[in-house]
Amino acid sequence: MNGIAWVLVELASRLLEHDEREAVLGDLLESNESAGQGLLDVFGLVLRRQAGLWRDFRPWLAGFVVALPSSYLLTYVSVSVSCTYQRLVNHRVYDKWWPTGQEGFSLLLCHIFLLIAWSWASGYVVGSLSRRTVWVSAALSLFPSVIFCFPAYPLESLSKLCLFLFLLPAILGARQGMRNTRISLRSASLLALTVTVLMISAWSSKALWISNWALILPAWYLVATAWPSGQKGRTASPMHLA
Amino acid sequence: MLGEFEYLLITAAVRLEENAYGAAIRDEIEATTGRRCSMGALYTTIDRLEAKGLLKTRMGEATPQRGGRAKRMVRVTSTGVHAAKGFYDAVTRVSRGVSWVENRIGNAS
Repeated sequence: MNGIAWVLVELASRLLEHDEREAVLGDLLESNESAGQGLLDVFGLVLRRQAGLWRDFRPWLAGFVVALPSSYLLTYVSVSVSCTYQRLVNHRVYDKWWPTGQEGFSLLLCHIFLLIAWSWASGYVVGSLSRRTVWVSAALSLFPSVIFCFPAYPLESLSKLCLFLFLLPAILGARQGMRNTRISLRSASLLALTVTVLMISAWSSKALWISNWALILPAWYLVATAWPSGQKGRTASPMHLA
Repeated sequence: MLGEFEYLLITAAVRLEENAYGAAIRDEIEATTGRRCSMGALYTTIDRLEAKGLLKTRMGEATPQRGGRAKRMVRVTSTGVHAAKGFYDAVTRVSRGVSWVENRIGNAS
């Protein structure tokens, strides 16, 4: 196998787990396979592995029930927060991009906190449900922004980066979820209760879209998984290996 | 009951004894059946059989011939041997009296 071909095979094999990568690359070298056959072998194994992961319900749950709808809602919240900030600080008014258009600084801070908390919790849930298919969930979470918002983006004077304010906390949450970082029941409850109280407060000020209530679910999911009986299940369950 | 490829893999691993690992099992299957055995089929089947408790794997030593990469060593468990024997017995029973078996032993009708 020549140098360039071997580099391609090694790159493709990075999609495999470490031990499996070692064994497969060693087998290919030992068998003195041609570059093309080696690539086919590695891609074939990667495809089988990925297909196997999707037999479980968790990747579907993470991608299509959490990542896709959450990112759709969070994209709108990101723009709404940006619009409120521009209105309060730079006195620029953008129509239709916030619930009332009357929010003050306190509600802006509340929205910023909620945006970070919603994004982080959603990212954590996606990462912990299915770390080996997280790249699919990541692609799905960019889908609403790219497909729906870019072509119809009506706010020329507002940077399109405002669509992605949710991304950083979501990535941080997903990283922690993928590492299976344990969240204590106390921390999870504190987060969920704070989010709930702030949402009720914003709702009572008519500064929350009704669809945003769906974003409360990941925070309470964290409470459910941090519950003592839930923790036993987590260590024994293969769900975090999916 | 085992599938055909699962039976081939277990039999090859038993035949290779202490030297049973990915490339060796693949060579054994290809030499015996005359068919190509893909890495994907081999390793996903090894995982499936390990999950069923029919074999165990561990990472073995690395050799210069393999570019310093470790082997995935395979050992068939007693449950695996029992399952393979069950498959063989079933194939033998179901094949009794069929034409190609009769032809092979020289009793063609």
